[in-house]
Amino acid sequence: MTAQHSAGLWQLAWRRLRADRWAMAALAVVLAFLLTLLLSASGLIVADWEQEVAVSFAPPGWAAAAAGSGAGAPLNDTDALLRDNPFDPLADDLRALRSELGRPDGKASLPMYGVTDPLADDLAQLRAAHGAGGTTGATGARLATLPFGADKWGHDVLKKTVKGGETSVVVGLVAALLAVALGTLLGALAGYWGGVVDALLNGLYNIFTAIPSVLMILAVAAVLQQKGVLTIVLILGLTGWTGPYRLIRAEYLKHKGREYVLAADAIGASHWRKMFVHIFPNVSHVALVQLSILVVGFIKAEVVLSFLGFGVPVGVVSWGSMLNEAQNELILGRWWQLTAAALAMAVLVTAFSLLTDALRDALDPKVKF
Amino acid sequence: MLSTRQLVRIVAIALACGWGSSSALDEPVKTLRYILPAAEASLDPVQGRDLYTGHITEAIFETLYTYDYLARPVRLVPQTAAALPQVSADGLSVVIRLKPGIYFTPDPAFGGQRRELTVADYVYSWKRLFDPQLASPNSWLLEGRIAGLDALAAAARQRGRMDYAAPVAGFEQLDRYTLRLHLTRPDPSLGMILAYEPLAALAHEVVQRYGDAQGEVASHPVGTGAYQLGKWVRGSRIVLDANPGYRDERWDFAASADGSPADARIVRQMQGKKIPQIRRIDISVQLEDQSRWLSFTSGAADLFWLDGPLAPRAIRNGQLRPELAAQGIQLQRIVDPVLTYYYWNMQDPVVGGLSKEKIALRRAIAMAHDVDEEIRLLLNGEAERLAMPVPPGVAGHDPAYRSLLQYDPVLANRLLDRYGYRKGVDGWRTLPDGKPLLIRYTSRSEAAGLQMAELWRKTYTRLGIRMESQRMVFSDIQQAEQLCQLQSRTYQWMADYPDGDNFMQLFYGKNIHQNNNGCYQDARYDRWFEASRALPPGPQRDALYRQMARLLEVQAVAMPAYTRYRSMLAQPAVLGYKRHPILHQEWKYLDIERKDKQ
Amino acid sequence: MLAYIVRRLAQMLPTMLGVVLLLFVLFNWVGGDPAYLLAGKMANAESIANIRRQLGVDQPYWVQLGIFLRQIATLDFGLSWATGEPVGQIIATRLGPSLTVLVPLTLLETALGIALALAIASVRGSLTDRLVMVACTVGMSVSILVYIIVFQYQLAYRFGLFPVQGWGEHLGENLLRYASLPILIGLAVSIAPTLRLYRSFVLDEVGQDYVRTARAKGLGEARVMWLHVLRNAAIPILTHVMASLPSLLIGAFLLERFFGIPGIGREVILAVERSDFPVIKAITVYVALATMLVNLLTDLLYQALDPRVRLS
Repeated sequence: MTAQHSAGLWQLAWRRLRADRWAMAALAVVLAFLLTLLLSASGLIVADWEQEVAVSFAPPGWAAAAAGSGAGAPLNDTDALLRDNPFDPLADDLRALRSELGRPDGKASLPMYGVTDPLADDLAQLRAAHGAGGTTGATGARLATLPFGADKWGHDVLKKTVKGGETSVVVGLVAALLAVALGTLLGALAGYWGGVVDALLNGLYNIFTAIPSVLMILAVAAVLQQKGVLTIVLILGLTGWTGPYRLIRAEYLKHKGREYVLAADAIGASHWRKMFVHIFPNVSHVALVQLSILVVGFIKAEVVLSFLGFGVPVGVVSWGSMLNEAQNELILGRWWQLTAAALAMAVLVTAFSLLTDALRDALDPKVKF
Repeated sequence: MLSTRQLVRIVAIALACGWGSSSALDEPVKTLRYILPAAEASLDPVQGRDLYTGHITEAIFETLYTYDYLARPVRLVPQTAAALPQVSADGLSVVIRLKPGIYFTPDPAFGGQRRELTVADYVYSWKRLFDPQLASPNSWLLEGRIAGLDALAAAARQRGRMDYAAPVAGFEQLDRYTLRLHLTRPDPSLGMILAYEPLAALAHEVVQRYGDAQGEVASHPVGTGAYQLGKWVRGSRIVLDANPGYRDERWDFAASADGSPADARIVRQMQGKKIPQIRRIDISVQLEDQSRWLSFTSGAADLFWLDGPLAPRAIRNGQLRPELAAQGIQLQRIVDPVLTYYYWNMQDPVVGGLSKEKIALRRAIAMAHDVDEEIRLLLNGEAERLAMPVPPGVAGHDPAYRSLLQYDPVLANRLLDRYGYRKGVDGWRTLPDGKPLLIRYTSRSEAAGLQMAELWRKTYTRLGIRMESQRMVFSDIQQAEQLCQLQSRTYQWMADYPDGDNFMQLFYGKNIHQNNNGCYQDARYDRWFEASRALPPGPQRDALYRQMARLLEVQAVAMPAYTRYRSMLAQPAVLGYKRHPILHQEWKYLDIERKDKQ
Repeated sequence: MLAYIVRRLAQMLPTMLGVVLLLFVLFNWVGGDPAYLLAGKMANAESIANIRRQLGVDQPYWVQLGIFLRQIATLDFGLSWATGEPVGQIIATRLGPSLTVLVPLTLLETALGIALALAIASVRGSLTDRLVMVACTVGMSVSILVYIIVFQYQLAYRFGLFPVQGWGEHLGENLLRYASLPILIGLAVSIAPTLRLYRSFVLDEVGQDYVRTARAKGLGEARVMWLHVLRNAAIPILTHVMASLPSLLIGAFLLERFFGIPGIGREVILAVERSDFPVIKAITVYVALATMLVNLLTDLLYQALDPRVRLS
């Protein structure tokens, strides 16, 4: 008699997932995003996103042709080109000449009104040794259009979107991991031990859920007043653990009395071993689904937090900071940054949500198809 | 029992009545609709420190003097005073006469009587500046000017509360309407100081009845001005109604000396009309730029402050865009008497100090910052470079003055190399002694603060210096500044009164922990400043100011950057509008003529 | 029943104390010294010490906690640090506008959600179902900020269908004129998650035996859905609506900010920006209290609706 090897939960789930075309498409999209994230984080792509390669508010290449004919609505973009004269190939030379005229050699032309300059000699020597200063070497003419346009500083919006995605997704992932880890740990403790521990943790849960998460986040942000990626991750993670906690606790309560746990007890497994080596693999699918849900929620929360000013610090770009900038740009008729960030976020969040749904259905043996 | 259909009908009618009644009850009152871009704060003038609230307190309360509406450069004229102050020959005593027949708006605090304004009210209000419980941010206005007032202030600080009954030698009340001030030194700018909003008159009955534990009347303003407070939804909507008991004043200003045709038109429109023509000011607070702009362009606001981010929407190359001009929209664009400058904390161990190394560090940073780029990108070109701390239009400004600090990042880098700020293996510079160099730039948490921090990051990166951005709420910034805890910041100082003294005092040693944000102290500067105080505006004082400005530059204490343009848009229905550089708002001098009933 | 209510109220007390303690730690300990926020531009050391004394900030922590507890018990949180307005008055006056937007929004959203969920459930598994679900997912993935910015620009400004922003005097005017666009946007943003959730509730019911029985009896599909399924699905739906009420109050802060509606959400954001601790503390305490009371109410309603449930 051959022993039939029955597939485990994960294998069954994978099979079901594979059969669902939408889910596979969503998975592909999510993996593509994650791959881009890895490439961006390692610096293999978009490492130069901070270069100001274009003129301020350069329009997208494919839209520039269509724009300009709009009746009376957004700004005529040639304005921007005229006003930002870095496009002028002579700009650097003119600037150098201007500065030279202002200061032929040293400060002989400027009246000092009886005040001595302690650095006068040094500056005169430096100028004499190296010639008139002027600006840094010409960075080259700036581009007039880019595939997805440029922002106020002339950064490439496409590169910003990729880099911003890295930040937003990392914030979402790490915060979600923190929340799920915390929730799982506390849920396991509460569900497994029961009694006083359960009562205490439930009390903590009640306290945290008595305050709406939005309010909690704002209150913590108001008090901390410290910006930074770490702060956002902490705020989101420390306020988001309640959802996973409740579900994991229910799971542990269910599994505590099962036979395999009693068997583990019989072989002398310690409490920690029972909790995390024996029971946890059986409830991990719940944690995974929660993780997925929270990632989506936290990416969206980061956007709102950045809009309110509690987001990423200066020099770090995220989709939230892009939307924050884009809000004022829209009234001026510059729609490309808003579109890029909103589109990228929409695609990722949609894919993630579809994947989460499919995952939940695939992992739940009771759902009928 | 009513059927569903009947019920729905009744509800619909009820709602329609609610809707209809609001428009039916609206009398055709001449209303001006205005938008404030930030929420108002306390309506007690003694606490006034932001110009948004200043719009409102200026309409409700009155100072002794004000400025001629049309005259440029600005000229002091009497408001509640009967005439300009009469200064004695030695300059140490000033006689002020009040117009009789000015009354506060009726209020239960006056017990049903009509309450006339007297000089005692002004003396009372000025003493409030030094009340330690109020901790007014404006006490420096009268510090060191009036005989005996500083002693009173010191005694009050000791006791922890102000004794309003105690007499002050410098305030000699000759009768109900006449006051003689005894000064500690001749003070040419006294008149302008008395025209500044925190020195407006309050009635002590109102303070006693409505003041909180500190004696602040934040929510119940009762003044003598052309307007009084009507409906108020805090942080959202403020309605000012014309004061029915306002004295009979007629619009009577002459076109300014520069003879612009616009002035002539204004005089034609407004001459002889009773003040105020506009009976109601409906102010709404709108924080989001898009909401504000869309409100104005859809006709829901009559007067609009076009600030930096929105400027390109309406202005091109300094002119109003043709499509807006075609609608008849009016643009008033003036240079605001405001100084924006960058300072470095002179008491800070990293960036402060007067040793050559530290001076070199600050000079290099100043030379590496591209002010033109800041004006172009952050302000959309709506500002003008400033070379000295006194902006144009203010007494003491010298248009021919040239600054030492020019944009020259290559030279700046060489200067740092020379003074030992070597680049480490990671490419960032260190201090000459090898310790890591990190400079902290502080800005506000709003969007504008973020952009400034981004710009400064570029500057420091140009030099190879690591920069850390610190963003805080404005009030936190003020606290830290007073304690000299910040390292570097961009500061904007708006003229309280149009005199260079108001700007040069920002660097006076005695003003550390008050207005002197850079915590700068230099014996030479202080000596020159005190000397300049004794001089009236003129070439002698200008020469001192030039020396002081040059000293600030060679020591790289602070770098004046720019003064911004103030652009105001008005709908075609608004008559008589000319933006005044010092007054917060000009509502009582305006009129509205709506062609179509809106 | 009464005993149950009393017991639940008694159980709320430790939670409330926990919330109070959490807020106290957050604002008084982590938040640092607030006196400077009040001292103004020219604060010197003496006026700062004065104010710190008045606020009791220089007292030991247990005294400060006592002050906080007293404030909660007497419902008097003092004055706002930014405007000097009594905090109780702030909350009382801002509640009206917030509710004017939220009550119609909740009602419409629930009604629409139920109707659409039932409709979708009747075609479950089909391509329509799948497409609608994907559309919902896409709709949910666009940030609410984008909705607000674009809707306000297009509908209010370009097409002039609604006022750009503002708030009026009378309830009718507010409801029909000023609240319309915010409610519309609120609906657009919330319809997707609501539909998904209600659909899952309905589908849970549709698989049950009694539905098969009802169909076997010969009842029309519409009657089966609206009469039988809805009654059973109403329980989780109601639970969801009640549970989301307290957070709705604060959650509309973006709408209030953009449309100039003087509500609680906008007040909270202003208070957070200005570090106006009394307002933030008061609102948090009241909302926490409301949340707990709403939970109790939900459980009671649960029992009223579902006779199988026995409250222990």
